[in-house]
Amino acid sequence: MSAKKPPPRPTPTRTPVRRTGRNWVFPTVIGVVVLAGVLAVVLSAVGGSDPTGPKAKLEVSPEVTVTGTALPRYTGAATDPAVGLAAPEIGSVDFQARTSTAGGVTGKPYVLAFLAHWCPHCQAELPRLVAVERAGKNAGVPVVAVTTGTDQAAPNYPPSTWIAREKFRGDVLVDDRAQNAAQAYGLAGYPYLVWVGADGKVAARTSGEIPEEDLPAMFSALAAGKPVPLPSSGASSNAG
Amino acid sequence: MTTETANAFFTALTLLADVAVVAAVLLAVGRFVPPVRRLGDAVVDTVGPSARRIACLVAVVATLGSLYYSEIAHYTPCRLCWYQRICMYPLAVVLLVGVFRRDRGVRAYAWPFVVVGAPLSGYHWLVERVHFFERTSSCSDAAPCSVPWFQTLGFVTLAFMALSGFLLVGVLLLVDRAAERRDLLRVDDTGHIGNP
Repeated sequence: MSAKKPPPRPTPTRTPVRRTGRNWVFPTVIGVVVLAGVLAVVLSAVGGSDPTGPKAKLEVSPEVTVTGTALPRYTGAATDPAVGLAAPEIGSVDFQARTSTAGGVTGKPYVLAFLAHWCPHCQAELPRLVAVERAGKNAGVPVVAVTTGTDQAAPNYPPSTWIAREKFRGDVLVDDRAQNAAQAYGLAGYPYLVWVGADGKVAARTSGEIPEEDLPAMFSALAAGKPVPLPSSGASSNAG
Repeated sequence: MTTETANAFFTALTLLADVAVVAAVLLAVGRFVPPVRRLGDAVVDTVGPSARRIACLVAVVATLGSLYYSEIAHYTPCRLCWYQRICMYPLAVVLLVGVFRRDRGVRAYAWPFVVVGAPLSGYHWLVERVHFFERTSSCSDAAPCSVPWFQTLGFVTLAFMALSGFLLVGVLLLVDRAAERRDLLRVDDTGHIGNP
């Protein structure tokens, strides 16, 4: 009796398979993307705020005037060509749209602090400037804040709220969209401090954070008409 | 479309991508538990046939979003943003060609862009958020890498969006690979080609 021969098994193959099922997945994903777009449009329309409301402040100046020669762009070089040059006078407005000027010759030393609301280094430096002024360690030298680089889509907007939150008590000048005030002083980075002597000439320019412990000596030197000392770390400085 | 609308749109897609990536990781980690393994297999069987097309869609949408922010919203890309663009743009093109050619081999060409792009985006996100990674004390007036153009929900930035996109594409390529392997296993076990 002979054993019955089993039928041959089909030979497995490793041919890649093209599957046709689950065709609903990709259209569903596209539907989700479209739905997200529609929801974004609807939510933006519903939640949109009116920037021209009664409490709105002027965050960007409509026009900035510059009187005098613009300073060369700050490069951080060991010898700053701007030191000894006359600080140009800037005409603009403050957050309440009142006419405001900064720079030029005032008969007293002062510091112009160019600050951008979105810059974390500016956010770190402003409280130090406030603390030094509150502690009376600024040798009576006022700091004028110039808000520049303002961008409604960037973090920490608006700058007026930020400045108020930090309880900055000095004068504020608002730069225009083209940053004419910052360009007149040769800004290359934020925060940017321009130290101007009583004669209206630039004593030093610093870009970057300055440690709080270094600020009193810098203010004192400026008030005394001496060369402004370099910060121990952080910012690069050019003292005359 | 306003920038705020675009931010909301891309933030929503980013969160969806993150949910998908986290779910994929949980399913992968839980494969030792039979019910989770069965669920994972079901997801692979369901999403697998469309994985490459979805990955392509993700890369294309990310590319269009990147172009929107630079060319329409005028957000100047920083140095790290450009490195991520170098990875994302070709990824979209490669996946697009792969989808049209129905070529599973496209994974081999797509992977390098994901492997390079995802860590770059992750690093950029850390640079934006962690002061330790910043090596400067000032913000450039051009396009500083450490300052995001915008931030939603406290953590979603353009770098985070790119990271989510790269990770989702990576997960989908893995799903595509898993689906292919399951197809081949079925062939070996039964001698038949294709789904049972």
